[in-house]
Amino acid sequence: MIKIFMDEEPVEVEEGTTVLKAAERAGIHIPHLCYHPAFPPEGSCRMCLVEIEGFPKLELACSTVVKEDMKISTKSARVVEARKAVLEFLLAEHPLDCPICDKAGDCKLQDYYDEYGLFESQFKEAKEKREKKLKIGKTLILDQERCILCTRCVRFLKEVTKTQELGVFHRGVHSSVNIYDGAAVVNNYTGNLAEICPVGAITDEDFRFKIRSWFLEEGESICPLCSRGCNILIEYHPGFPRFNVPKRVYRIKARENPEVNGFWLCDRGRYGYSYLDEGRADQIILNKIEGENVLTWENISEYLGKKIKSLSSAKKASGIALILHTWLSNEELFLLHEIFKKDLQVEKIFFADLPQGEGDEYLLTSEPSPNRRGAREIGFDIKTVDLDAMADGTDFLLAFGPFLSGLFSLKDLKDALSKIKRKVLFSSYSDEMNSLFDIVIPVALIAEKEGSLTNVDGIVQGFQPALEPPGESLPEWKVLADLGKELEMDARFYSEFPSPEKILTEMGKKIPFFKKKND
Amino acid sequence: MKEKVLTEHFGLENLYKIDVYQKQGGYRATEKALKKMKPEEILDEVKKANLRGRGGAGFPAGVKWSFVPDTDKPKYLCVNADEGEPGTFKDRYIMSHNPHMLLEGIIITSFCVGIHVAFIYIRGEYEAIALRLEQAISEAYAKGFLGKNILESGFDLDVFVHRGAGAYICGEETALLESLEGKRGNPRLKPPFPASVGLWQCPTVINNVETISNISHIILNGAEWFVKKGLPKDGGTRIFSVSGMVKNPGIYELPLGTSLKDIIFKHAGGMKGGKKLKAVIPGGMSAPILTADEINIKMDFDSLVEANSMLGSAAIIVIDDKTSILDVLKVVTKFYSHESCGQCTPCRIGNSWINKIVKRIADGKGKKEDIDSILRLASNIEGNTLCPLGDAAAMPILSITKKFRKELESHL
Amino acid sequence: MSLEFSEKAKKKIAEIVARYPQKEAALLPVLHVTQREFGFISAVQEKMVARVLGIKPIRVRELVTFYTMLSRQSLGKYHIQVCTNLSCSLLGAGNFVDYLVEKLGIKPGETTPDKKFTLSTVECLGACERAPCMMINFNYYGDMDPKKVDEILDGLK
Repeated sequence: MIKIFMDEEPVEVEEGTTVLKAAERAGIHIPHLCYHPAFPPEGSCRMCLVEIEGFPKLELACSTVVKEDMKISTKSARVVEARKAVLEFLLAEHPLDCPICDKAGDCKLQDYYDEYGLFESQFKEAKEKREKKLKIGKTLILDQERCILCTRCVRFLKEVTKTQELGVFHRGVHSSVNIYDGAAVVNNYTGNLAEICPVGAITDEDFRFKIRSWFLEEGESICPLCSRGCNILIEYHPGFPRFNVPKRVYRIKARENPEVNGFWLCDRGRYGYSYLDEGRADQIILNKIEGENVLTWENISEYLGKKIKSLSSAKKASGIALILHTWLSNEELFLLHEIFKKDLQVEKIFFADLPQGEGDEYLLTSEPSPNRRGAREIGFDIKTVDLDAMADGTDFLLAFGPFLSGLFSLKDLKDALSKIKRKVLFSSYSDEMNSLFDIVIPVALIAEKEGSLTNVDGIVQGFQPALEPPGESLPEWKVLADLGKELEMDARFYSEFPSPEKILTEMGKKIPFFKKKND
Repeated sequence: MKEKVLTEHFGLENLYKIDVYQKQGGYRATEKALKKMKPEEILDEVKKANLRGRGGAGFPAGVKWSFVPDTDKPKYLCVNADEGEPGTFKDRYIMSHNPHMLLEGIIITSFCVGIHVAFIYIRGEYEAIALRLEQAISEAYAKGFLGKNILESGFDLDVFVHRGAGAYICGEETALLESLEGKRGNPRLKPPFPASVGLWQCPTVINNVETISNISHIILNGAEWFVKKGLPKDGGTRIFSVSGMVKNPGIYELPLGTSLKDIIFKHAGGMKGGKKLKAVIPGGMSAPILTADEINIKMDFDSLVEANSMLGSAAIIVIDDKTSILDVLKVVTKFYSHESCGQCTPCRIGNSWINKIVKRIADGKGKKEDIDSILRLASNIEGNTLCPLGDAAAMPILSITKKFRKELESHL
Repeated sequence: MSLEFSEKAKKKIAEIVARYPQKEAALLPVLHVTQREFGFISAVQEKMVARVLGIKPIRVRELVTFYTMLSRQSLGKYHIQVCTNLSCSLLGAGNFVDYLVEKLGIKPGETTPDKKFTLSTVECLGACERAPCMMINFNYYGDMDPKKVDEILDGLK
């Protein structure tokens, strides 16, 4: 560790830290545009110039490594003047597009102008004219006039995807980023380009002109579309559905996690967020039960508990069937395992997931669900659903998830389920198959509850709710925890309404794999 | 001056042929260096000779070589023959008249630093010169001065000519490296410096043609002799490229410290066509301009820095009083705007902006605030760019605009 | 249209590639060979060069658009490049250009209809002692005046 002085305040940092990172650690943000932590310093935007005692010229914070006793000034008059100068240059050739530019509100150029600029333009000449709506990818549009030539996009495609679809043509002020003769950016990571562009040069058709960024709020979550468990930010409109806006979730952004997804997201996860909003089930539905009280969240576990207790011990083991899936959290799978496998000795436990896909060599895995590893570590044997075996001698079926309808025809499901007396479905979605069940209970998605998932590499990641679950949906773990209480299992644990945090601790006690994984 | 160093035999016909060159004592320095000297001794001699870079920056060559670390990685030598600084044409003369002198310098330098592959990066326009160099290289290989086990010393060296394609920025050492590696000529961040991280991440020495051409003379005659040819801190001669409104434009090899006035009026024959001197650019276009009152100055590195200018490439451009300074400024701003690589913000946009203002003034649409704008923008470029081209642009623009403000204002 | 390098060019390219520890370094010299061979470097040539060096065509275009001596369009048989930098301007490059514009009937950047001459203005050629000067293809001509220009151009077949 070495000591330096950042604006006269002493700071301790590791050797090899750059001035930019050291300032971050001291809580100071040094403006920068071309620097991105995923790549070595580029040094071309010149926004991050700072004053360092003993150096005659201003130096770049992004690339200068600190030395013992270095005295850095990030706000001296000289530094501010240089920042204004760089800003003025950038804005001189930048089109006045803010009113029609998606990046407004999220734009570094705007932010820095607000903080360091606010000057009248002195540029009285004609600005350079270039392509403003160049389609460069599946959903990407490049505006060359807005481009500040930070080359983040070019570097991303060179270093991360190694596909090199973008380049810089011409020289000097005529320089422009471009693709090669219509050869679009085609890979599974194109969405990252719009995200890393510091201005509105690369925009995404998925988001273009749909909403202003300042109406959106952010929530942290984990992408469930494969078993990588990439960390995401969900950008949503908090006013939905009260306000007259067409959707709730507008965009997914990447959240940095050096162990899991680095700085990136694959396009599948980034653009595949319709699962959060479309076709959601939000009310408890009773299909064919007569004479029962109205079911609500308050008494659902009581109902289930009563039903289970009413079965004889022998019938408990052989008469109950479970269809699970691996979008369930570690905590939920654990409770299911404890209650049904270990305590009730249920044998007929099956898993209905999305069919196996194709991974790529980077983030996307071939397992299209987030917690298969978790299920295995908890001790489940992931058997695919065999409808006959499942229905044979089953009085009481607890099914989870919407995935059955993707695996079997409605007719086959109907046939199988007609043999079962009582069938309960926990699902987040409205679907034709829901009508085959007696009770349909809407449940929250990973983005709407608390818990943890185990990714393909065995990393256990906790998550908090980013969104409100719609209508009456609530998380499965609450029902299961109550159910445990109802069934008078392990009073020590279940009587004290266990939160997912407590469940994970309990898991650590019982399963070595989860021992050190507590958040 | 009686005894010149570099241009001694330039008048000789066919000096570029190895037989003729050898008859004049050529390749004796190579024999001495490779057979009788150790690399450390050569380095010492070059350091003592106070040989400063002749490309523009003036960095001491021996010191630069000593920055090369001990390593298992291959080391490279790049001879900077890009000669893009406007007004400069001395290297063209060296390479076309006496290419073997350059080759000797390359061999001795490489032997000293432990380099086995050298590239001569020559500007694309000099195609005829490149061919002449390649011929000289073939001759040298044929006579065993290049290739394996040179003169039985156990030292191997290959030399290749690599042609540029029209980019002034490729004269900047790190842009030269990028260009040689097959990329756009975008300068790199320094540190790290090429001596430790250069071509293909390996230690690389980059020196100008004239600098390297001095090496064989230093080895043959000794550092002391070399220093006496110039000044105590700046050894040797400079080849001054004199052009513009003089009677006898051309190259003049003179000791460092020669008076600028003498160069123009004594050596280059004075003003052409009876014109009067208005201004002089002393060290290539990037050097701040000197007015007619300022030419009583010694042409060496330190004297020019003291006068707020620089020796640079020692290219002297003489401007007469019938020439409009606005026209000079137009040429300058157009040049830097055109040659900017475009990588960093201030140079890319600043130079183009200033160029647009100057063009507008030249079109008769100048505004009152334009002169101050030019000064402000050029100051904003200076010191804030990734490579020295920004300063190379800002300095002449600032000096011309400041020193000839009245004349420029008359155009508004 | 499938275009191929001539045998001579292929040999030269192989020789060039052998000089460098990394193939990409041969790109600029190979582009010189390519322009010599075809007169210009269009998308077709870009792809050829890319294939020979095992790189993406976009990397080739990045260079072709960066370096002023590489041309994307076909040029006239004789490319007249007039220096308009400082020393040449001082000695009348402006008038020199005007004279050529009038004589050839084209503006800088254009090619004569018979495709014989292309006229360009360029930056310092490094021959300032012979200002005003020009380069035709790769040949330097200095101390230009209208009479000399006429002699030279009329002598070009």
